Amino acid sequence: MRTFLRIIGVLVVIAVVAFLAFLFIPVQRTPAQAALPDSWTPEEGQGEYAMRLGDCMACHTAPGGEPFAGGREIESPLGVIYASNITPDNQTGIGGWSLDDFRAALYDGVGPDGTHLYPAMPYENFGRISEEDVRAMYDYFMNDVPPVDNAVSETALSFPFNQRWGLRAWNWVALSDAAGFTAESTDPELSRGEYIVEGPGHCGACHSPRNAIMAEAALDGSDPQFLAGGEIAGWTAPALRGPNSAIRGWSADEVAAIMGTGRNAHSAVNGEMQLVVQDSSQYFTDEDLQAVGAYLVSLNDDGPAPEVTDDGATEALLASADPSMALGARLYLDNCNACHFANGQGADEVFPALAGNSLVTAAQPTGLISMILNGSELPSTAARPYRLRMPGFAARLSDDEVAALASFVRQGWGNAAAPVEAGSVADLRDQGDAATH
Amino acid sequence: MTNPSSQPPAFRTSRRRFLGGTASVAALAGLARPGEAQDQPDPRAALDGYTPEFLSAAEWAFIVAATARIIPSEGDGPGAIEAQVPVFIDRQLAGEFGAATDLYMEGPFVADADPNFGLQTPLTPAEIYREGIAAFDQWCQQEQGSSFADLDASAQDAALTALSRGEAGLAPEVRDFWTHLLQNTREGYFADPMYGGNAGMQAWVYIGYPGARANFREWVGRDEPYPMGPVNIAGERA
Ligand code: HEC
Ligand code: HEC
Ligand code: HEC
Repeated sequence: MRTFLRIIGVLVVIAVVAFLAFLFIPVQRTPAQAALPDSWTPEEGQGEYAMRLGDCMACHTAPGGEPFAGGREIESPLGVIYASNITPDNQTGIGGWSLDDFRAALYDGVGPDGTHLYPAMPYENFGRISEEDVRAMYDYFMNDVPPVDNAVSETALSFPFNQRWGLRAWNWVALSDAAGFTAESTDPELSRGEYIVEGPGHCGACHSPRNAIMAEAALDGSDPQFLAGGEIAGWTAPALRGPNSAIRGWSADEVAAIMGTGRNAHSAVNGEMQLVVQDSSQYFTDEDLQAVGAYLVSLNDDGPAPEVTDDGATEALLASADPSMALGARLYLDNCNACHFANGQGADEVFPALAGNSLVTAAQPTGLISMILNGSELPSTAARPYRLRMPGFAARLSDDEVAALASFVRQGWGNAAAPVEAGSVADLRDQGDAATH
Repeated sequence: MTNPSSQPPAFRTSRRRFLGGTASVAALAGLARPGEAQDQPDPRAALDGYTPEFLSAAEWAFIVAATARIIPSEGDGPGAIEAQVPVFIDRQLAGEFGAATDLYMEGPFVADADPNFGLQTPLTPAEIYREGIAAFDQWCQQEQGSSFADLDASAQDAALTALSRGEAGLAPEVRDFWTHLLQNTREGYFADPMYGGNAGMQAWVYIGYPGARANFREWVGRDEPYPMGPVNIAGERA
């Protein structure tokens, strides 16, 4: 979530320029995107399902806290932003909000009194949520979610980032694409997939690059920048299209599998993506998973699957068990070979392949280093309840050793990513220690 | 591994074969080669830096002397002393093993019941060592005129042979003393170095065991020695 906040650094500049104009023109709220009759009511479960698509729960529930009662700390270099209580409690939540108030928070990032929300709330993307889903969610939050009295700590960033009106300037630029969703394709499956990915799923919030003002560089799939790769909490959120696409060569079924279960024949989810699967995409219907799969695959239709450039040298070296092999390879044998195997292919749906894995070759090695130091545990999903676990190796490997090992896997089996420095490992180890103490 | 009991008793029974089997008594006799290592530096010096946690000075002297006869330093691999087996035993006795944490320790205790009834003693392993060493040393004193540690190697081997045969007059409560001592010596020799023995993974290197790598799929079925040295749980390499 940290990246969202770098946005704010840029705000000041723009804000000063546009200061007066913005102060005096009242905030416009984006109107409903479709005219539904007042008598419209959602189907049973429709609101909760729309909430799952939007992953509201992940951000709006504190660890161990009541659902949607807010208080989750979203870290930023400028300070902590607290996610709001969005239960229908009158004093501390969104009780008493009108449908228009609710829609304005989702579409425009403004509260009922015109207060601007920090873009840690992904309203750039939520502008594409359909009126049905807005209405269904409104109904769900007002009628099905129990009110919880929980006053969330006030977000108090330092000056000038505490000047919320500055966000208005940022919104003016960042939200220049009109709200509303228009599908590119007439195929119902592809357009459903596109809707979920661009709108409620807010995949672009992490997977799209940021532009000069730290807004998402593109909000819809017709722009090649959309899902071209981003960064979140120091991890690379890999490109899902283009030459470096993490899913190049994957089938729609394989994309559906990783979104629904956190794992597939190639890979497994980690970092923030685990939360996406845990709280959101594992609840997608099979049809929606297929739709997301088909849509993402359609973004990768523009070129052949990557050529396999593995000449077999890495596997041969590991299989030789030659005591004179370099440190990185030796460490792989000592620590990783048992599960990920000499050919770097792992085992389908159990041990991810490290050959050609986007997390291994990511521009930012943070994810890989973190995996080696801390290990990871996959979320339990209805289809794959068992929490597969990789152990952490922080106690077993020094910083130099982790660097040598990470560099080895980033260059083995045809992988061609830059080596890792011991200093990067030391930094992440310190952060991990700080987080657990 | 070859089962020693199926071999003719050989004077030079290899240590590896000895450790792999259970017919320790016959093998022990064969290993007695007193005085052979006189001109080599005393491997016990490596143990000098260690301060025992559980064992008294006399008990420590016994464990050092006894393990040095069970896996002697003379031969084609590290002995119990080089592998620092006494450190392992002391730490085990000071810890949960010594305190019988994992054993059912409620009565009734019928210490002299048939061995087929399993452990019957009211004593913890630490107490068995303490009382067993004292009783056995006293027996050595009576029979040989000095405590075990001060006997020469062949006298030590004879005494251990008697102990192993139940001929050293130990009370039923400590009759498992020899079984523990032999078993713990093997464990200290081969266990991960984190427990104090198998110093520098010498025992693993000696038998070609790759340690906590536990992975050599590519070598299964290849009839040749596996070349890569071992790794221990802490991640050290040898
Ligand atoms: C990526 C994290 C994230 C997700 C996902 C998210 N929110 Fe938020 N939301 C926030 C944060 C952080 C705030 C508070 C922003 C601030 O204080 O400026 C917020 C604020 C709000 C507010 C304003 C509350 C108030 O009292 O001002 C509403 C309403 C809201 N979110 C609803 C939703 C709904 C509905 C969803 C799901 C469709 C959702 N949010 C998904 C992070 C998120
Ligand atoms: C909160 C940030 C965030 C959001 C939102 C997000 N992702 Fe991710 N995603 C990541 C990160 C970080 C990774 C890299 C870690 C990994 O490989 O699992 C990732 C990896 C992936 C991968 C590759 C997995 C692998 O291991 O190769 C796919 C596919 C993916 N995301 C799809 C999606 C889709 C589809 C959405 C929207 C429904 C989405 N993501 C939303 C952060 C996010
Ligand atoms: C005991 C088995 C085991 C061992 C040993 C092991 N891993 Fe893993 N590894 C797993 C499992 C299971 C996963 C999937 C769990 C997850 O991603 O949360 C995984 C995931 C990974 C991932 C993430 C892949 C992805 O698609 O996102 C990387 C990178 C990785 N391992 C590297 C290593 C390295 C390097 C070593 C050696 C230090 C190692 N692993 C040792 C079992 C293991």
